[in-house]
Amino acid sequence: MTYFIKTQWSIDLHDIHTIIIAGKAGEGVKKAAQVISGILMSYGRHVFQNDDYQSLIKGGHNYSTVSTSEAEVFSTSEQADLIICFDKRSVEERRVDLKCGGTFFYNSDDGDGSMGIGLPMTSLMKKAYNTNGNLCSVPIGIFCALYGHSKQELANIITGEFRKDRDENLALAGMIYDCVEERLAPFARKHIPVAEHLFSGNQLISLGAWTAGLDFYFGYPMTPASSILHYLALQKDRLGVQAIHAESELAAINMAIGASFAGARAAVGSSGGGFALMQEAFSMAGMVEAPLLCILSSRPGPATGVSTYTAQEDLFFALHQGHGEFARVVASPDSHERAYSLAAELLSLAWELQTPVVLLTEKHLSESSTCLKLQPEQVPHADVKIGLENDDYERYEITDDGISPLLFPPSDSVIKWNSHEHLPSGLRTDKSQPITDMKAKRASKIITAKQAVKKYQQIAEYGEGENIVFAYGSTVLELREAARHTSKPLHIIAPIYLEPFPLEELAIYAGRVIVVVDHSCTGLFASFLKEKLQTKILKNILRYDGRPFDPHSLATLLEEAFDA
Amino acid sequence: MRSLNTPKENTWCPGCGNFGILNAIKKCIQNLVEGGIPLSELVMVCGIGCHGKIFDYLSLSGVYSLHGRALATAQGIKLANPDLKVIVFGGDGDSLGEGLEHTLFAAKRNMDLTLILHNNGTYGLTTGQFSPLSYTGYKGLSTPQGSIERPFHPIPLLLEAGATFLARTYSTKLEHMVQTLHKAIDHKGFSFVEILQPCVSYNNTYQLFNEKVKLLDVIPRDDATVMALARNQEHYYIGIYKEQLIPVYHELLYQTQNPIRERLSGLQRKQKIRELY
Repeated sequence: MTYFIKTQWSIDLHDIHTIIIAGKAGEGVKKAAQVISGILMSYGRHVFQNDDYQSLIKGGHNYSTVSTSEAEVFSTSEQADLIICFDKRSVEERRVDLKCGGTFFYNSDDGDGSMGIGLPMTSLMKKAYNTNGNLCSVPIGIFCALYGHSKQELANIITGEFRKDRDENLALAGMIYDCVEERLAPFARKHIPVAEHLFSGNQLISLGAWTAGLDFYFGYPMTPASSILHYLALQKDRLGVQAIHAESELAAINMAIGASFAGARAAVGSSGGGFALMQEAFSMAGMVEAPLLCILSSRPGPATGVSTYTAQEDLFFALHQGHGEFARVVASPDSHERAYSLAAELLSLAWELQTPVVLLTEKHLSESSTCLKLQPEQVPHADVKIGLENDDYERYEITDDGISPLLFPPSDSVIKWNSHEHLPSGLRTDKSQPITDMKAKRASKIITAKQAVKKYQQIAEYGEGENIVFAYGSTVLELREAARHTSKPLHIIAPIYLEPFPLEELAIYAGRVIVVVDHSCTGLFASFLKEKLQTKILKNILRYDGRPFDPHSLATLLEEAFDA
Repeated sequence: MRSLNTPKENTWCPGCGNFGILNAIKKCIQNLVEGGIPLSELVMVCGIGCHGKIFDYLSLSGVYSLHGRALATAQGIKLANPDLKVIVFGGDGDSLGEGLEHTLFAAKRNMDLTLILHNNGTYGLTTGQFSPLSYTGYKGLSTPQGSIERPFHPIPLLLEAGATFLARTYSTKLEHMVQTLHKAIDHKGFSFVEILQPCVSYNNTYQLFNEKVKLLDVIPRDDATVMALARNQEHYYIGIYKEQLIPVYHELLYQTQNPIRERLSGLQRKQKIRELY
């Protein structure tokens, strides 16, 4: 069987080329996309991979999108040049995503042939496995044929990527390869890869924190934060980091506070629901002045919400974690690169300020992947104030900047951390003057925090001009990708630090007319900016169905907004 | 050895069972130090309730944690630095109500620390409401008609959860407490000591305990006997119910390493990232 394709791929103006692989959960959709991303990277092309999946283990409809270009890619496009579907449902769901002139493959063992090229994927898979197996290597075979790889190159790729069922995958990919005659080879293949590693946002957050000294991660599974726990657990021997799956989020954060009392650098992570459970201990970290990194990866809420999709509904929740008044830092990475550097900065700030800090992100950054080279040189060295070991040591010594010296057990000094209001010694108090003094000491850390964040980049700015768009977090990625497609240049302003908010640095935008792009239903980020900068909102572009914006659609919405 | 006293005014009710427990732990710590354990390696963690005030009366490093969360905090400390001997003080509301999950999981993991349960059968500090260990019919502000729930039996509960050292003692028996606490702290694994503790204001059990408390002669030979003796209402048996050595959590996790002492420096971490990525 050989299948001919009548395709004339027009590589678009911006050289963005998009591939979608769709099928049931458990069929190998994501892995196939990762392998293809890796091949593209080896050509010297940039990639961005987004995995759309449902909260189920087997079945349903999952799809992974890979957008690639010779230039950096910031987010995936919805319209694809190549779509490969494993089943009938995928054909129904994804057919609308095919670009004009694009190529569509379906599984002729489970499809009606109404469009595209049918390959008997299931029968070939059964032939290769001698029983039921996995369709993962089907797209790899199609890709290698279409994009001009030799069969030997395909075999090398499969051998390198599959340890389990290697022979079966070699057989299946080979049979698929033979079915596809056409060699489109749309890209020049350079032999210098842009980067060797494809990283998800959560992997970069994990590695950034680890470079800055992370010893312990305590968590309880909740998508889209779970992959931090999984990744660090897997890195245990390689990096010497401990990832503990506790009995609950309450246990996780309280364990983390205990670990920091003993001198270990600790972090916790969850999504909104798990964070809600951590509230009391977050407040305790403020009171006992525990250095603690908290990673909040958002999904649509309220309550259980939409488990495996993206949202920015937790902005005010992140800013107002915990009851009572105390200093905190909240910041959100606007790119994968920043996920690495910001996680490191925040862990260092937690230790300098001895207070809880929040890294706020979303599923779209946490679980999408891109290629980059890590820059460990940028990782700061935390300036931790350490006390002298003597009889006079007081854990909560009153100081001008509010930072009291730390000591860790075992120590000849008595080190008392207290969740009650306390005296400098750490003993409990309910007397008027000591309460006033200690509250003032903690409050002075709010000023200290404002100074401390100034040594880092607080705002990201892309483009220039009068068309000012504000966004934060992974929405900035969507905007940067959309910016390729607008006729007018966009001036994207992305605050990285949200608390302390860089008011002075953003003062030039006070009272200005701006467009805001946000993944909330009620325009939370616009409300925040109105309060902080008295900006006038020309248009609030909102998407709250859990999906990232398609760059082309977002570009159209932005043009409409600025033309109005 | 330096003094274990603090300048803090003691606010327990006169006659409170906590005084006995405070005296016993001080004496026990003195014995431990004389036995060669450095005072600096002992760390205390408390929850919130009358029991928790011991934090202010004992000059020892540690964390005055949240209500119910003492064992979670304590596990974090132990995991970070396994050289430390972590002693947790909990109330019956604190450790078996709000924080029950952490108590069961610390036992399940055989986490190498000690939980001292101040069992006064009531919520003293919040004015005498019924606790997870209050008897059926207990009348408190939240159960004016009498509690309709049955109490937990802490030793059988912790046995089933996986504790490897189980004991009960009584807050008037100073020497028995000192010996029991010493063995518990020495035990490698999760040790649990239930201290029968009268609350003079809301659950005065002095007379009851004085009549019914009886010494266990030997460690019961099997779990069924532990269950039967611990649930016995004719006599409240005090003594060691179980002592078993099995691997502890932190050694299963990272063998003989110490995550704090052996942590990589910033430079080593940067170098490793460069090598790997």
